[in-house]
Amino acid sequence: MHEATIAKSILEIVSKQIAKTPGALRALQVHVVAGQFRNVDRESLEFAFDSLKMLDQRTSGCELHLEMPSAIALCRDSQHAYHPCYQQAYCCPLCGSGIGKLVSGEELDVVNVSLETVLHEEQKDHARVIR
Amino acid sequence: MHESSDEHMLERILNNNEDLAAHNRDHFDAAGLLCINLMSAPGAGKTSLLERSLLDLSKHWQCSVIEGDMVGELDADRLRKLGVDVSQISTGKSCHLDAQMVARVLHSKALDKLDYLFIENVGNLVCPADFPLGEHKRVVLLSVTEGDDKPLKYPVIFHNCDVVLFTKCDLLPYVNFSVARATQYVQDLNPRAQCFAVSIVTGQGIDDWLNWLSSAYLQSQKNMPVSI
Repeated sequence: MHEATIAKSILEIVSKQIAKTPGALRALQVHVVAGQFRNVDRESLEFAFDSLKMLDQRTSGCELHLEMPSAIALCRDSQHAYHPCYQQAYCCPLCGSGIGKLVSGEELDVVNVSLETVLHEEQKDHARVIR
Repeated sequence: MHESSDEHMLERILNNNEDLAAHNRDHFDAAGLLCINLMSAPGAGKTSLLERSLLDLSKHWQCSVIEGDMVGELDADRLRKLGVDVSQISTGKSCHLDAQMVARVLHSKALDKLDYLFIENVGNLVCPADFPLGEHKRVVLLSVTEGDDKPLKYPVIFHNCDVVLFTKCDLLPYVNFSVARATQYVQDLNPRAQCFAVSIVTGQGIDDWLNWLSSAYLQSQKNMPVSI
């Protein structure tokens, strides 16, 4: 579902982080979590990301670490925590009742950006002293 | 000397659309109207449902429509014949409406004079689910010719809606569709969704749908911010 739009949004967040981090040179990795109930296709997103990141040399070396956890729901009748899946019509494997509450599965977030930074001059002096 | 640093965060992706949707919603709340986002696969009967609904509603309420189609104004023209204000958004190659497209047409509407604003989304059971527009209620149509297993195949849109309408129920004798089974699939995904079996041809379920619209409107009036 619109993986190019999602990739563009991820890269905007990465670029914004580079801009506001003192000494940041480029992005090394971005960690994204996409829940089961967000219609994201892994291959399409990876393809779109690897294509769009090349438009900016600050992101061209950035690796996408994409985590796609299974959703967790509490079932309607017994509040048992389970992973809702198509094969079981999204129902609880123990009691057969449906989703009472979706605890997780709708995330689409950037949770970490790793940046290459250059130490500030004062920090370099301090590092020399420590050694 | 180069180092690497980890910047831990929790930043929503696609937050631009969500922020714009919230902004649209603020306009709707300030105007005191109820906004409904109608979604379905192509041909499930969104425009026909709107035609039938507006016949009744426009007698007593001020209604307006935002019509989303990739090309053309055929659906908008059908609704304009009822004397209702309709704004057409031609999305081109985009298979869903987004909050920015809706925001652009709002300035042409006298929102504070409206009671209901219907948004007929582009026919698609996938993408509209992920692009809120600022609506108060999401209504998904599933026609009986599409198969009762569609909630299983498209869980996201059915999990996130307020109402599911099983349309074209006059065709039930000719298709292998169980309203009970489809209802069960929906409610196992979404316990808060209300399901109605409707037919524009026979009138089945239309009163229930109109009653739901009326209740939703009255409820929204209680939730509106009070202007001082």
